[in-house]
Amino acid sequence: MLKVLPVVTKIGNGLYLCVVERILSLIKKDMTVDWRQQNPITGIVLYLASTIFAAYMAFSGYVSVEVWNALFWIILLFTAINGLSKSFIQEERRTHYYYFLCKPGEIIIAKLIYSFIYLLLLALVSFVVYGVLLGNPIVNYPAFALNATLGCLGISAAFTMVSAIAFRTSNRSVMMAVLGFPVIIPVLVLAISNSFKLLDGYVFMQIQGNVGALFSVDVIIIALTMVLFPFTWKS
Amino acid sequence: MGYLLKADWWKWLCVVLLVYTVIAGLLMPVPRLHILNETIRVLHFHVPMWFGMIFLFLASMIHAIKYLRSGSFVSDVYSNQLAYVGLFFGVLGLLSGMLWAKFAWGEYWSNDPKQNASAVSMLIYLAYFVLRSSIQDEQQRNRISSVYNIFAFFLMVPLLFILPRMTDSLHPGNGGNPALSIYDTNSSLKMVFYPAVIGWTLLGFWFATISSRLSISKQRFEDA
Repeated sequence: MLKVLPVVTKIGNGLYLCVVERILSLIKKDMTVDWRQQNPITGIVLYLASTIFAAYMAFSGYVSVEVWNALFWIILLFTAINGLSKSFIQEERRTHYYYFLCKPGEIIIAKLIYSFIYLLLLALVSFVVYGVLLGNPIVNYPAFALNATLGCLGISAAFTMVSAIAFRTSNRSVMMAVLGFPVIIPVLVLAISNSFKLLDGYVFMQIQGNVGALFSVDVIIIALTMVLFPFTWKS
Repeated sequence: MGYLLKADWWKWLCVVLLVYTVIAGLLMPVPRLHILNETIRVLHFHVPMWFGMIFLFLASMIHAIKYLRSGSFVSDVYSNQLAYVGLFFGVLGLLSGMLWAKFAWGEYWSNDPKQNASAVSMLIYLAYFVLRSSIQDEQQRNRISSVYNIFAFFLMVPLLFILPRMTDSLHPGNGGNPALSIYDTNSSLKMVFYPAVIGWTLLGFWFATISSRLSISKQRFEDA
């Protein structure tokens, strides 16, 4: 993908930016926007906390390891779909400006990286709150973290692409769920079953194959997103 | 009659194969297998629906790629109509399978990976139609829905390979169920099964070409 992009572009009198710099500045822009606006990010953290609390009230006393695991992923999924739906929707007023500044390839790479970081942070917050309220049955931390990271990578990439599609429709929030959930099932099924096996006392060697499968699904999603995103962008 | 004689050869092939499938599928002797017994005949009517569905969705995806490359609305119409017929085949396959499962497994739905995978593919393509109806601008609608079509198809394929790894399928031929794998299928079954798959798939494409031509003429009529 990077080959398609010009490595260096001229942005003004004697000023040049290379691809990496442009992508980094796009990521930085997203961070600045989120930092200044604050209410979307506070909103999503609060959403997370209240969902976990509702789950805690509903499930307290019944939480076996299976339920713990499934609930953790479902809460993460709903947080992700709400948190990442803003990826493109918040860009509405800036899109025209971007057409002249960047290639779609750069925009999507920046978005993918940013949503991945964003979701990882949300997963971390959710894990802390969840662990405090519903307990923490994890034994093998590195393997659990690796699996969760790969799951987050897949979910963030798929929802970023779906957000770019839903951005063009008339009822965005509904379309986000309708289009996103069926597509995310391969990632979700693999991530849930891997993390359940880890909680159940399997060692990493035993689930290696499925972690590999999860990684390859992530790669498929990212590759598809890179190829297809430019078609949703120009209009 | 004059028109019928001019029809494409594959339409004749489809008619011949389907007549053969219905007659031979219901009357030919079948191997007696434990549990399955006579219900094994559903093989010629239920399983080809899945083959047809996958081929139709594949063709729909290829037309979506064609649309993105060329931008001609004909490709988009084909892509859309092929997905419609694929969904129709999927629904028929799901219903016939559920009816059969009630008698063979005792439940309409029993968390079988193949059942789940088919339900998810239904959801994906239903979402595709909802997406199409929720975009007003025609060009935009065609392009965005083509993008989703390609994206969803390539994620449906790994799903079909992943789900069976998670749980054992109840389907005949999987995980020690009464033998009916594609390799040791009785030759008298094969003689009907393969023609049935080809026949039903051709029928699906026949439907799709008719509805696409209708839809293209309608659009041309409106534009004119």
